Amino acid sequence: MIWKIKLSFLLIVAVLCAIGCSDNRYYDEQLQMELQQLDSDLDNRWSTTGVVIIDVKPNGPAGQGDLEKGELVSYVIGERPIRSTGDYKQAAKKALEDDNNFIVKLTDGREIRLAVRKRGDKVGLEVDESRVSKVTPGSPADTGNIKVGDTIESIIDERNVRTLKDYKEALKEFTKYDSKVTFRTIELIGIKIASVNALGNLGDVRSVQPLTMILDSEGSTLRQPAAEALDRLVALSQLNTLFQQFQQANVDELPADQLDSRQRQSAEILGLLTSDLENNLVTLNDPFGTQFRHRSEALYEKITDGQMVELARKYIKRDVEPNQEIRRACISILGHLRPTSAIEDLVAVMEDSMEVPGIRFKAGLALSQIGKDSVDALIAAFDRGDASIKDIAASALGNIGGNKARNTLINALNTIDNPTIKLTLADAVAKVGRAPSIEALRRQKEALPEGSGLRTFLDELQVLLFNVESKYQAHLNSENISVELRQEFRDNKISLSQSAIISVQKKDSEWWIDDKDNQRVYIVRKESRKVEGKLNIYEPLETQSISYSAAN
Amino acid sequence: MKNCFKLPIGIICIAAFLIGCGSQNPYLSKGKELIKSDKRRKEERAAQQFKLAIQHEQNNAEAHYLLGYYNSEKFYAEGAPERAQASIEERGKHMFQAYQNDKRKYLEILVFETLRDRDVDVQNAALNALKRIYQQADRKKLLNSLKKAIKSNDNRDRHDAQWVLAALGREHPETIVPLLVDLLEDKRRETRLNVVRALGAIGNESAIPVLVEVVNSGSAKREKDREDAEIRGLAVEALGKIGGTAVEKLVEIVENKGSSMRVDAMQALEQLGDERAVKPLLDVLNEQGNREVVVNF
Repeated sequence: MIWKIKLSFLLIVAVLCAIGCSDNRYYDEQLQMELQQLDSDLDNRWSTTGVVIIDVKPNGPAGQGDLEKGELVSYVIGERPIRSTGDYKQAAKKALEDDNNFIVKLTDGREIRLAVRKRGDKVGLEVDESRVSKVTPGSPADTGNIKVGDTIESIIDERNVRTLKDYKEALKEFTKYDSKVTFRTIELIGIKIASVNALGNLGDVRSVQPLTMILDSEGSTLRQPAAEALDRLVALSQLNTLFQQFQQANVDELPADQLDSRQRQSAEILGLLTSDLENNLVTLNDPFGTQFRHRSEALYEKITDGQMVELARKYIKRDVEPNQEIRRACISILGHLRPTSAIEDLVAVMEDSMEVPGIRFKAGLALSQIGKDSVDALIAAFDRGDASIKDIAASALGNIGGNKARNTLINALNTIDNPTIKLTLADAVAKVGRAPSIEALRRQKEALPEGSGLRTFLDELQVLLFNVESKYQAHLNSENISVELRQEFRDNKISLSQSAIISVQKKDSEWWIDDKDNQRVYIVRKESRKVEGKLNIYEPLETQSISYSAAN
Repeated sequence: MKNCFKLPIGIICIAAFLIGCGSQNPYLSKGKELIKSDKRRKEERAAQQFKLAIQHEQNNAEAHYLLGYYNSEKFYAEGAPERAQASIEERGKHMFQAYQNDKRKYLEILVFETLRDRDVDVQNAALNALKRIYQQADRKKLLNSLKKAIKSNDNRDRHDAQWVLAALGREHPETIVPLLVDLLEDKRRETRLNVVRALGAIGNESAIPVLVEVVNSGSAKREKDREDAEIRGLAVEALGKIGGTAVEKLVEIVENKGSSMRVDAMQALEQLGDERAVKPLLDVLNEQGNREVVVNF
């Protein structure tokens, strides 16, 4: 019989233990809120300790005190009034139990933190009622500048909360002698940054406003991630046209290389490898593709409503925005949106000698993305600027191209002596391309002494002549100059002799046409970064070297 | 009396030995010799010998296995009929025939040796053979062998078994997923790690509850009930691979302020690109913190 009772008792104990052990939650009756233990490894991963509030009764003490669901309590702080020697002794003893420090609040308003080196050490205070009667020389109290005669109002103890047990003990202790407790909560900034990053890639219109607000708020650690996320959202919004084309389902007809490098990045984020149409089709038919197509139009409208441009224009200014990564992201946004209203601001960034060189260059790049409309501003900046400005403006003009840009560049090439700028100018002229560019560059080259740095550079320069549709790729791969291809050359005022031959340098991406009779070599290249997947035809300034290696 | 027995036994032994030698397939021996040699194109020539060996002796397990192992498409010109005979499918078939002629030996070899091979084609041929065993032969023995491999103390065995179970699981989730779920109780950490990976690779929704349990075990009171952080991270990743209704579970992890896997869950949701992720992510931005709150009671 006794044996049986013992057994059932054991059983009850076991059951109780099991219930108790599996319970990682605690309902605080007094404050009327429910708390949960954190994952044990949160400490290692985010150096975070605490308990999380998972529910708050709105009318209970916690709710009235404005604690919110989801907050992480890392410290519970209690204040114990000191009225007697006993009060002080007990408070100091208790406060040193969990950690090695507490705060003494004096009646004159001072709050002094007293810390001992190790457990058992004394802070060096003796208290008579609430008046300090003795301070041990050299003790923490002495170095804390507490003097005999000071009056202690209270002892403030901060309890680090790691577990629910810590929490319960702290509360039990503090509620004994005071009717208020202070909770110190922590912000998991790493979690918020991760959330901002994810929102930047999800491409949803609902994220635009909150992220804009963060960027516009002062002093938040989240501003930089928010700016970068907005930059990605802007890039995604620019894919809208592409998505709409996809939606019309005629995926095969979409030129694979219609994207610039940033859009390409975004497409990669979306899992769209733009060069592989079959793959794209699969991606677009999976849930994300389908969803994003539905979302992209709304995102596009929100991003292009003008506010984004205003925001970006504001934060590219060095005197407004101290964080260079935010300025960089905002310039990138302007590059995507290409607003003519931002030309002046971008030129100002480009001309700002105190700005980071990379950002100035990025401003030049944004101007070249805006295109023809910024040519005049770039020419003006080039004319009045110092060497570094000329350098950036010249390469931007080279990217934009056109007669006006070319004339400025060639003109400068003939008048400027600075070799570094000459190099940039020659490169820019080659990028603008076509016959006048070749002529100008050949003249430059002939005027230079053999072996000079610039001459060597020019020898290896290839000038863009014109481009043709990608349908010629097959003709080129078969090493056969078709009638149509020959006609394309003729349309661009180049006649190919009958003896010209094609050699495939790299299947599907690079071919050389060697026209021995006319002593010309042309290089045909497919470049995804350039215009719409077309094939670009270049002529090297120095035919000899290429021709020789082609023969090999 | 005793001698009467001994003599016939001795004769039988000698006879068996002689027969054994005589029946050692000459093509098979030649092929094996070639492989050991350092001759030019030895694998290609050996494969020819193994083909002859099979013609000579249809049920020779070793010849089938070696042909499956060595025959390769790269020996033959494009469009040649022999090339089609060297496909992964055909090589797998030969490995399966080896198994059928000597079940115990070749099941062991396929699971613990062939899968380890550096050549991806050989690995795939072995996988093909194992799939055939699953469908046409002794499923139970195969699964026992794979269980043994995923519990092995050799990382290569665990990895290979994970790969095969994932491949089988995509075709037969109803059998493989419960088997893997049971293995989550295994005491070896690396085994559980591979099991979680396999569940992710299978991508079947039936694994969702148990994966969620693994993720949430981080806040268990007793240390022994808490799963290792890396495995919990992989479980989140697996939920991301499963997608579908797992999205809701990932959202719950993001919403669980005490979870150490919130960032992992966010990344999984980001990869899925599901719009159900947007709202909870925006809510995260509004979470309070970094302040002192006074509560009176």
